[in-house]
Amino acid sequence: MKRSKRIEALDKRAVNKDGFIDEWPEMGFIAMKSPYDPAPSIKVENGVITELDGKKREDFDFIDQFIADYAIRADRAEESMAIPSLEIARKIVDIVTPRKEILKIISGITPAKMAEIINYLNVVELMMGMQKMRARKVPGNQAHITNLKDDPVQIAADAAEGALRGFSEEETTTGVARYAPFNAIALLIGSQAGRKGVLTQCAVEEATELELGIRGLTTYAETLSVYGTEKVFIDGDDTPYSKAFLSSAYASRGLKVRFTSGSGSEVLMGSSEKKSMLYLECRCLFMTKGAGTQGIQNGSVSCIGVTASVPSGIREVIGENLVAALLGLECASSNDQSFSNSDMRRTARTMLQFMPGTDFIFSGYAAEPNYDNMFAGSNFDAEDFDDYNVLQRDMQVDGGLRPVTEEEVIRVRRLAGKAVQAVFRYLGLTEVTDEQVEAVTYAHGSHDTLKRDVAADLLSADDMMKRGITGVDVVRALAESGFEELAESILNMLKQRVIGDYMHTAAILDDQFQVMSGVNTPNDYLGPGTGYRVSGKRWEEIKAIPHRIDVNDL
Amino acid sequence: MEMNEQLVQAITRAVIEQLQKQGASVPETKTADRSVQSLSGRTRMRPKHHYTNVVKAVKGTDPKEIVIGVGAAFQTEIRSTITGIPLDEVLRNVRAGIEEEGMVSRVVKVLDTSDVGFMALQSAKLSGSGIGIGIQSKGTTVIHQKDLYPLTNLELFPQAPLMTPETYRKIGRNAARYAKGERVTPIESENDPMVRAKFQVKAALMHIIETEQLDPEKGMIEWEGVQ
Repeated sequence: MKRSKRIEALDKRAVNKDGFIDEWPEMGFIAMKSPYDPAPSIKVENGVITELDGKKREDFDFIDQFIADYAIRADRAEESMAIPSLEIARKIVDIVTPRKEILKIISGITPAKMAEIINYLNVVELMMGMQKMRARKVPGNQAHITNLKDDPVQIAADAAEGALRGFSEEETTTGVARYAPFNAIALLIGSQAGRKGVLTQCAVEEATELELGIRGLTTYAETLSVYGTEKVFIDGDDTPYSKAFLSSAYASRGLKVRFTSGSGSEVLMGSSEKKSMLYLECRCLFMTKGAGTQGIQNGSVSCIGVTASVPSGIREVIGENLVAALLGLECASSNDQSFSNSDMRRTARTMLQFMPGTDFIFSGYAAEPNYDNMFAGSNFDAEDFDDYNVLQRDMQVDGGLRPVTEEEVIRVRRLAGKAVQAVFRYLGLTEVTDEQVEAVTYAHGSHDTLKRDVAADLLSADDMMKRGITGVDVVRALAESGFEELAESILNMLKQRVIGDYMHTAAILDDQFQVMSGVNTPNDYLGPGTGYRVSGKRWEEIKAIPHRIDVNDL
Repeated sequence: MEMNEQLVQAITRAVIEQLQKQGASVPETKTADRSVQSLSGRTRMRPKHHYTNVVKAVKGTDPKEIVIGVGAAFQTEIRSTITGIPLDEVLRNVRAGIEEEGMVSRVVKVLDTSDVGFMALQSAKLSGSGIGIGIQSKGTTVIHQKDLYPLTNLELFPQAPLMTPETYRKIGRNAARYAKGERVTPIESENDPMVRAKFQVKAALMHIIETEQLDPEKGMIEWEGVQ
């Protein structure tokens, strides 16, 4: 066939490098409604749920049972289930029914009913729902802080810059798992060098992550994964009960914690039981609610390549974010994983959370160039900072970030690097040279930094854990090395777990270490003239992007 | 990292052709004018493999031994990794790496899990040295040690599309060095931030092929010489 030059040009477009697949319910490649999804139903006898979505109690798998016993208000179930799904869908979108009333209705419905409700909503309605149902009044944002070399100095510097740019939470992970203690300690120090009150976590294997948390080297946890089918749980040697237990372990030490789920994981692991991604994700979110954790990171997350490959997949993603908010959970709404070669497509996907605002629009945003993002690439990275700031300004939307000056960036990066150097020296860990601090201060990513002795670092990190180093040791090291202000900040972060207020739904801390959560600053949106509006000092900050025309220079 | 796009596409085409020859319905991504194919009703990617005369893998006693645990579809339903490296070549390189360090290798097939972390840990537990390597058919690899938590590891290579025969050789070498108790420098991390966009759907399909071949009653079987 003689080829059309137009079609040839189109074939070369970035979007055509993305993966797309037809719907295939038998293998779970179906976004919102599978012919095999159950119809909603419930039966309550003597206060016990004896039938859930067409299944009798004796046929329950452990997920059904956990949901029936802990996630649904049996006393409200019959009343809520009697309201037609379309009517609930309309209440979610209207500007008459307050958030609290919706939460009450939702507390008595089943996962299949939830999926049915979401299926009635188009993307704009899903966004309107999110605008009303988000827990915290002011939206927030979270960063990924990682690099290819697991260089602790770069982690500290990027954390400081990220905090300066406005992120309320920062998450790291490792290339080499045994680097975890160094990454955690560097992130803890660096974050406070950029802006006081930023929360930090280190996403690694669950037992290690818990130990880092208990020692005060992290200030929240997020990587407690739940799945929508029993088989995937069993493969991971887990149950909803073990996840609830793990969550309680964090709670017992006063640490903020959220679960992680997201559509597509059951497909990727080959165990979707022919159900739609939305229905399976509803099951995950009900489990999260039942486990008593305050929040969730969801929105397909690391399986976004699967969800985005099927029709209505991106609609499903904001749909599952809304399900989290409807259950009263804090929602850290993904946008944290690259999924498209097309700049247009990746931006459009993010607008669905950016415009209504979520508790954390990204979970997280790569605050380093994507080649350094050890979560295999985020949807936005450090090179998109100015684009993002312009989007906030264009639309008068608070996306959680702010423009910064080069001088500030260099200052906080150096401070973070120097502080890590001092702490490592004080605690007898591997050496951080002046040259390393200098390189990292001015670096964009790990291509610009010096090589570290990895084998020595790993031995030292291991030794640090064996010696029982805790957050208090970090405070002491900083205080005795001349970094009193940073020491004070980290001590204040450790105090949070004694105070406990930041365990409330959707809590973040301001730079005075005051909690802002869905409890003390709840979202009160109810149509025009209500809810959070970008104004005053915050609007002035958003307006002040770099590269504005200076009329005096004309 | 820099990727030669043409090369990737050529390899991808080759893999898809091979998959189709083996009876898979792999979605085409190039042609825009095809009519929509219906996948509804299909419940498997491949027929179930029936193993005969297999020998259950037992715990080794040789302290020089490193066990390589391969995926359920390895060299049977799937013959090359996600980027088209033949699985024979993958194994040859890992084993050569182990031998270069003066250690010995044993290959087993893991039929009770397709989770690479558990595959590697179970292999480590069978291994005389306590060090094991898990390799999924799509190429994802983990080096594990028998007394570590399942979801941690000595080294993890999560991005199968970045693997080369040389990486597999280095994995063999490092596994052997761990077994010898040496101070080991992990293989440098690599990262392609666009890997999900390019490969995740294919990874899902390949993993389905692997998972549907599981046969938990057989557990782990000796795989050298068996096909």
